[in-house]
Amino acid sequence: MSGAYIFDAVRTPRGRGKKDGRLHTVKAVDLLGTALRGLQRRTELNTSILDDVTIGCVTQVGEQGACIGRTAVLEAGYDESVPAVTLNRFCGSGLEAVNGAAAKVASGFCDLVIAGGVESMSRVQMGSDGGAIWDPTMAFEYGTVPQGISADLLATLNAISRQDADKFAAGSQRKAAQAQARGAFTQSVEPVYDQNGLLLLDEDEHLRPETTEESLSQLRPAFEMMGTQFGLDALTQKRYPHVERINHIHTAGNSSGIVDGAAAVLIGNESAKANYGLRPRAKIRALASVGDEPVLMLSGPVPATQRVLRKAGMQIGDIDLFEVNEAFAAVPLFFAKELGVDLAKINVNGGAIALGHPLGATGAVLLGTVLDELEERDLTTGLVTLCIGGGMGIATIIERV
Amino acid sequence: MQEQFKVEFDSKLGIATIWMQMDGRANKINPAFGEGFQPAFETALKYEDLKGIIIASAHKDFCVGADIDYVYEARDPKQLATTIAVFHANLRRIETCGKPVVAALTGSALGGGYELALACHHRIAVDTPSVQIGLPEVNLGLIPGGGGTQRLPRLIGLQPALEVIAQGQVLRAKKALSKGLIDELANTQADVFEMATAWIQNRPKTKQPWDESTFLFPGGVQPDSAMGRQLFAGGAAMLVKKTKGAFRAPEAAVQAIYEGCHLDFDSALKIEARYFTTCVVSDQSKDMIRTFWFHKNAVERQADLPKISEARIETVGILGAGMMGAGLAFICARRGYKVILKDINQDALDCGLTHCRTQVDKRLRFLSTDEKAAVLAKISGTLAVEDLSECDLIIEAVFENIDLKHRVIRETEAVIKNDAIFASNTSALPIADLAKASARPDKFIGLHFFSPVEQMPLLEVIQANHTSEETLARALSFGRRIKKTSIVVNDGYGFYTTRLFSAYVMEAAQLVAQGYPPVLIERAASAAGMVVPPLKVFDEVTLSLAAHGFDMREKYDGKPLDEPGVRLVRALVNLERNGKSSGRGFYQYDGKKRTLWPGLADLAEAQVTESDPHILMKKCQDRLMLTQVLEAIRCLDEGILRSTADGEIGAIFGVGFAPNTGGPFAWCDRKGLPFVVSALDALTHEHGSRYQVPERLRQMADAGEQFFPRV
Repeated sequence: MSGAYIFDAVRTPRGRGKKDGRLHTVKAVDLLGTALRGLQRRTELNTSILDDVTIGCVTQVGEQGACIGRTAVLEAGYDESVPAVTLNRFCGSGLEAVNGAAAKVASGFCDLVIAGGVESMSRVQMGSDGGAIWDPTMAFEYGTVPQGISADLLATLNAISRQDADKFAAGSQRKAAQAQARGAFTQSVEPVYDQNGLLLLDEDEHLRPETTEESLSQLRPAFEMMGTQFGLDALTQKRYPHVERINHIHTAGNSSGIVDGAAAVLIGNESAKANYGLRPRAKIRALASVGDEPVLMLSGPVPATQRVLRKAGMQIGDIDLFEVNEAFAAVPLFFAKELGVDLAKINVNGGAIALGHPLGATGAVLLGTVLDELEERDLTTGLVTLCIGGGMGIATIIERV
Repeated sequence: MQEQFKVEFDSKLGIATIWMQMDGRANKINPAFGEGFQPAFETALKYEDLKGIIIASAHKDFCVGADIDYVYEARDPKQLATTIAVFHANLRRIETCGKPVVAALTGSALGGGYELALACHHRIAVDTPSVQIGLPEVNLGLIPGGGGTQRLPRLIGLQPALEVIAQGQVLRAKKALSKGLIDELANTQADVFEMATAWIQNRPKTKQPWDESTFLFPGGVQPDSAMGRQLFAGGAAMLVKKTKGAFRAPEAAVQAIYEGCHLDFDSALKIEARYFTTCVVSDQSKDMIRTFWFHKNAVERQADLPKISEARIETVGILGAGMMGAGLAFICARRGYKVILKDINQDALDCGLTHCRTQVDKRLRFLSTDEKAAVLAKISGTLAVEDLSECDLIIEAVFENIDLKHRVIRETEAVIKNDAIFASNTSALPIADLAKASARPDKFIGLHFFSPVEQMPLLEVIQANHTSEETLARALSFGRRIKKTSIVVNDGYGFYTTRLFSAYVMEAAQLVAQGYPPVLIERAASAAGMVVPPLKVFDEVTLSLAAHGFDMREKYDGKPLDEPGVRLVRALVNLERNGKSSGRGFYQYDGKKRTLWPGLADLAEAQVTESDPHILMKKCQDRLMLTQVLEAIRCLDEGILRSTADGEIGAIFGVGFAPNTGGPFAWCDRKGLPFVVSALDALTHEHGSRYQVPERLRQMADAGEQFFPRV
């Protein structure tokens, strides 16, 4: 097997996913096009040599429907010979695109592939793609609930308190603000311009550096009413009869931000490296996806990490830095507790609580984030993992070369 | 034989009327309907110059639904699918025939009968309180199978239709109009036909909205939209919150509506047919139909019970103006009885009379101010026993203390007419023991009501050895008039329902004492379908009263009650955790919030070694159900219960036994008697003779018998 290298990774800044967010007027295809153009420019890539483009996107309806990857390839001015596929593994989509690309090049079936993701959450509403998950049959047979309820259930089962979550969230904001201030994100962020070349956004917009544990403690639990008054907590009783009451700890302040953004990563094998003179920054050491309990839903990063470590023949202690997607504060806290990882190694530049979680893109974004920071600190090994809707998890281990 | 469907044609108006006059007292949806209705409808369509059709009933009701005998026997999905397809096609023919068709609802239209009306283009009902409209199928473990799950959402919108169907609502005509289930209200039966004629003469559209290519669901929520998805997600969750997943039919109704609403109408009917079939052939619907249809009808017919033409009860005296006494006063007054409410304390009396006023305002909203005042005027309060002299029936609802009860019996009998009945509302004390204080025990009877009496449908009538048949007949007549479903049981400590209820809550206390997690005990009961979890209801009936009951019981039996559950309840009472009224019991109460008291674990006498909550819950569930079933069987063996049907009805309507199971005896049959016997044997082995298998049950199990015939 010839292995898979990461040659480069770029992303757009993440704009606040609301009408007044700076990227709201930008079409999703242009966001992804910006990332693709940036990657081409930085690597001076002759796009005709690309074997494929794999793009993660969760809400594939409206302007994000109909294989947005291919349209973005054309929009970015790539050679018409470049194909694209758009995939959906919910929040794991961006990393799934990376892992799929890595598998393609490692197997030798492809030599050079771009993996990435896109989500304009301000323009295409989360959940608007419908799906069998909305079928009442799922509620009756499995007791599946919206993620916020699962997050609160995860916290309840693991005695993670509101204070723990707020403390973690304030930390995420602080770390992100510090990282932004020292320019940690600058080199990988591709600014977004309008059609007249006027700058729309060149840095992440969602941060609230003024956030404190105290200010967070004032926020109302986001899922309490849904859980208690609309009966959603009751759905979890079938699986968790011993939980008398779900402790609703998650708020808008300690959950991931809703944002717009896109990312792209160039991945290739030994022959791509040799033939096209590309310089690898890292290699993908192992990858894994898992299915986990669908009601609790968000515990997947733990078994995904255990599996990817096993596949890599590594121990948890071999990992220098972790990116554990901050879908909800309980997720990284549970991860750290369950696997015995020092929180100081997790999301060192903040995470989705501060920076936002553009669903289909986040996995690819985090891959670039951990790679930048490994280089900054001159460390070797990074692990990226995300919890995934429907009760799944995904993980990737990279190693600098 | 009379024609089942008669067609009349008024050539001047151009209106054909199809009179449904099926054999028997009601029109029913069954194979005979299928064979008879369609030719009549085709005949009507053939009249020259036909302007429209009215479908009407020659019986009291329009049509009250499917023939339950037929549904109960049906187990073959293939055969059912054919029958349903024919019915669907017939209804489709009505709404697509090209002529306006009106349903003349001169009486109730329920279930399949209302579905027939839904397939018409217009529905006019007469506005009398006896006319009921709705789709109550889920109450029998079924869903509407004649297009109701598809037509109603398309007629009134997804959200209201989900409510009506999944809750099995039956509405008065006025309410049905406001919800859109019917289109017009008429004052008289004749008006129904006049309005129908007028509507047809207006040359209305003869296409159903759902057959238009531009159809949108009314109410603004479309299935394939964010709101539509949230509606179903929320609806499903609310349903599970209520049913704990123990009732299959409302879930199937939601599923049928969800899947069907994304499809064209004819395909949607196929979806409904599938879910309907699943429900019809299910064990749950068989068990629910047996109890809620056959047993309930049989119990209410009172065929083997004494009857009397003149009950001679006009004035009811009620002793004790507490929740029960005041509630009784209200329900008697609302059914036309003159009521004298007596207490020994003016404050208590005032409180009781206030309760009556509140109930009139709350429950009789549909009455005019004058009518409400007339109900209240029937109730008077007094502190003087002499004021009871004109009463024909006395119901005593004083504190459960035999000496006190003996005293009030003596002082009341001294002033009432010779002919008057004295009834005790005791929930446990043997009637014969109370009657020791009575000078005319033949007129002494037990009338055990359930709290809140305004709501609870059951009346447990206790006929002691000395109670005359005439007294029983008069009491039953009273029960019918106040709209209670009566079961008659024989005398004995705790009668039937109290024994069942005690078995339930005491088993829960037992489980707590043995170290089972309280939350799992509660969840186990709910998941089995029990209406209220045991520790919650134990708190509601007050632990100190239960402790008082233990003392009373010990006095009766002459031996101590030495069980872990009894010790636990006494320990809680010693800690002044008396239940909900005192703000603490098994639960701690903080306003509306209720949390199981963590200290329960410390009061447990043992620990459980198993840690898997699902295994523990299953154990709790089996024990909670088995002890009730065991008690029901003992009551039958001891002759307290006169029939298994009484046992089923009493358990469900009196003490909230799991309605989804059909009752304790049906539960036993469904689990299999060999299972019940071996499970009880295992419990006897582990915990002693409390769980001893009655010999007759063992013989039945060995002989492969069960309580009810298999279907």
